[in-house]
Amino acid sequence: MEQSTGQGAQPAVEVTLRRFTLADVDAMMAWASDPLAAAPCRWEPYTSTEPLLAYLRDAVLPHPWFRAICLAGDDRPVGAISVSPTDDGCRAELGYVLARAHWGKGVATAAVRRALAQVFGEVEGLLRVEALVDVPNVASQRVLEKAGFTREAVLRRYCVLKGNVKDMVIHSFISTDTVLLELD
Amino acid sequence: MERPAPETEVTLREFTEADAEALFAWASDPRVVLFQRREAYARVDEARRYILDHVLPHPWYRAICVGGGGGAVVGSISVKPDPAEERGGRRSSRASLGYRVAHGYWGRGIATRAVQAAAEAAFAEWPWLVRLEAVADVENPASQRVLEKAGFVREGVLRSYVVLKGTPRDMVVFSFVDTDRERNKPVEAHKD
Repeated sequence: MEQSTGQGAQPAVEVTLRRFTLADVDAMMAWASDPLAAAPCRWEPYTSTEPLLAYLRDAVLPHPWFRAICLAGDDRPVGAISVSPTDDGCRAELGYVLARAHWGKGVATAAVRRALAQVFGEVEGLLRVEALVDVPNVASQRVLEKAGFTREAVLRRYCVLKGNVKDMVIHSFISTDTVLLELD
Repeated sequence: MERPAPETEVTLREFTEADAEALFAWASDPRVVLFQRREAYARVDEARRYILDHVLPHPWYRAICVGGGGGAVVGSISVKPDPAEERGGRRSSRASLGYRVAHGYWGRGIATRAVQAAAEAAFAEWPWLVRLEAVADVENPASQRVLEKAGFVREGVLRSYVVLKGTPRDMVVFSFVDTDRERNKPVEAHKD
C-alpha cells in the first residue's frame, strides 16, 4: 500500500498503537466515563471500573484488532481504535474513541492513519475497511477524509443508536488506496 | 393500473424439497449465477441439499411462482435480518434482500413484482423492520433497474464490497425504508 504526503494545516501529531492490558482500565475511564465521548458510540458511559474491567477482559483482549492510542513517547492510552470483522471476511469496520482532553489536535486522524497502515498487513483476506458516521457528525467525517477514506453514500435509517434511528454516512478505505500522511 | 397478464402474475410461497429440480434450473445456469458467489450447480442433488441446509432453516426465503400459487417456480427471493443490528436479544431493524430468476423468465417484470411483494411482506411481518437494503454489482444494470422500479432508492457505490469468484467487486447499494412506505400510502389514509 502506498503512503503519500498530503497538505497538512497542523503540525504532525505522532501516535503509537499498542495492545491493551488490564492495567489500562484506569486510563480508559477517562473516555469511557465521559458522556460526550460516549455519545456517538453504542455503549453508555461507565460509572465504575468493575464493568469496564469486564469489558476489557471479555471484549477487548480477545478482539481480533483493538488498539490503545498513545501519544508518542507516552505509554498511557488516550483513546482506542478498532477494526472489527463483519459477516464478510473481505471487509471490516473501523471505530475509534478519544478522551476529550485530546480532541481538536489531530490525534484521531493520526491514529486512523496508523491503523490503516497496519491493519491490511495484519488481517488476512482484508480488502476493505469501512467506517460509519452519524450524518451530523462532520468532525468525525473530516477525520476519515483527512486519513484517506472515500465518502461513498448516506445509508438511510441504517441503525438504531440509543433508541434513535440514524442516517449514517459510509466511508471506505480499500487495500489499494493511499494513506494520506501529514508532512513531517 | 392494468393487472399483469395471468401468466406473469407473481406469487411468493415457501419452498419444499420437491422444488429441487426447479431451483436447479436456475442454479445451474451460468448466466443466472454470474453475479453470485456460488458456482453453478452440476447436479440436482446439490439443489436438494441447498433447500434442506439453507432454504428451509432460513428466516425468510420464498419461491417466486408465475401463474398463481400452484404455477411454475421460476426463481427465489430472500430477506435476511442483519445480525449486526440484533443486540441484547432485540430484533434487527435492518435486513437485506436478494433474488434470482431463471433466464427464460427475464424481461417480463417478474423480479420487480417479486421484490415489491417481498418488501411489503417483510415490513408487514416484522414491525420492527426499519430498513431493507439490497446490493447489485456495478456491472449488472438489469438488477439495478429491478430495484429502482420496485421503489428502492439508490444510495451509492460500495467499493470492493464483496469478493466474487476471487475478484473484489464494487456494488451499488439500494434501500427501501419504513418512511418510504408512509410516503407511498394512498391519499384516503389521510382523511381527517
